[in-house]
Amino acid sequence: MTGSREALPDVDGSGLTLGDRAAIALTEYRNGNHQALGELVREATPLLWHTVRAQGVEQDTAEDVVQSTWVALVRHADTIAEPKAVLKWLLVTAKRAAWEAVRKHRDDEKRRTELPDDSPEHPTSLPAKDPLPDAQVLRDERDRILWTSLQKLPGRCQELLRLVSLADRPDYRYISAAIGMPMGSIGSTRGRCLAKLRTILDEQGDFSWT
Amino acid sequence: MDLTPEPNKDDEAVGDLSFDPKGVLDAGDGAVLTRLAHLVEAADPVPDDLVERSLFAITLAGLEAEMMEAVYLDAPLAGVRGAAAAARADDTAPAEAKTITFTHDSLTVMISLSPAAGGKVRIDGWAAPAAGLSVELHRPGVDVVTTASDEDGRFAFEAVERGRASLVVRRIDGGGGAVSTPVIEL
Repeated sequence: MTGSREALPDVDGSGLTLGDRAAIALTEYRNGNHQALGELVREATPLLWHTVRAQGVEQDTAEDVVQSTWVALVRHADTIAEPKAVLKWLLVTAKRAAWEAVRKHRDDEKRRTELPDDSPEHPTSLPAKDPLPDAQVLRDERDRILWTSLQKLPGRCQELLRLVSLADRPDYRYISAAIGMPMGSIGSTRGRCLAKLRTILDEQGDFSWT
Repeated sequence: MDLTPEPNKDDEAVGDLSFDPKGVLDAGDGAVLTRLAHLVEAADPVPDDLVERSLFAITLAGLEAEMMEAVYLDAPLAGVRGAAAAARADDTAPAEAKTITFTHDSLTVMISLSPAAGGKVRIDGWAAPAAGLSVELHRPGVDVVTTASDEDGRFAFEAVERGRASLVVRRIDGGGGAVSTPVIEL
């Protein structure tokens, strides 16, 4: 859905990444050409969706958050100083709106917990954090191993790797920055997460991943 | 909801420091990430019409209406969209009425969607506080339909084609700004 397949690992032949196309789309939009923005919406919505869902936002609300992120982009089209940073802008905007939604949801939950027949833990109302791919998808043994290995990583590593897997490689910096990985150590953090994953994978047996 | 990110003066610095294009990725890393991308998509697929709804929402952005927030209750009926999606999946229309509540500051708009003749949808709405409101129904490729709320804040659209739609609500006396619902699937 995104350019992940052709972007990895070292085939940047086309030269343009999602981040580049986002910058072009914004510039075009400012000049009254809306087509590139439409294409960007198609291409980047999956990344926004998974960014929002990674914050624990429920399905219905996540849909609205993604929608309003795109609306916000159009509203701010003339005030975003750096078209180059528009992908990061989108990710940060989506993530903040997601946090806000989670906070509101928790407040609502708290109010509702006053009801006597609610359990104190309220387990049924917690957002589903880690949906599983269905059995069909996990038929391939390597997919099963990859998925279970991913679950063994710290939460932030999981989030980072899921999102960068959907992006073009040179755009990782935007994702890392939007996720809020410590400045200066972002590249190495991603490297560490991926290295950990590879180590766990290697322990599972001698598979060829290429 | 304030969607404006804080300006970040370190953007460029982050870009320079965060990623070394000649970094540690090898072919195996690339293959693992590609495989992971498929799993991520399969685990939590992007809802079918989210792109289309977002595109329509963008076209409405020029109306300068503040977007209302939908309130989804954790009722056993998992929410109107879930139910609508499930209904779409087996290609039958949902038979019972669905209710969605939208809020923005002090304004609350509740709408109830129920089947109307000819496979259409009836929208019954109720706004509070019950000031005189004009309610516009926006749909892609169709002229805007406008109605007004009565003195109790009630309004209705009696037979609307299914599909994407957004309501834009304004005070008739012109006070306050316009607000809009997110684009929903009727």
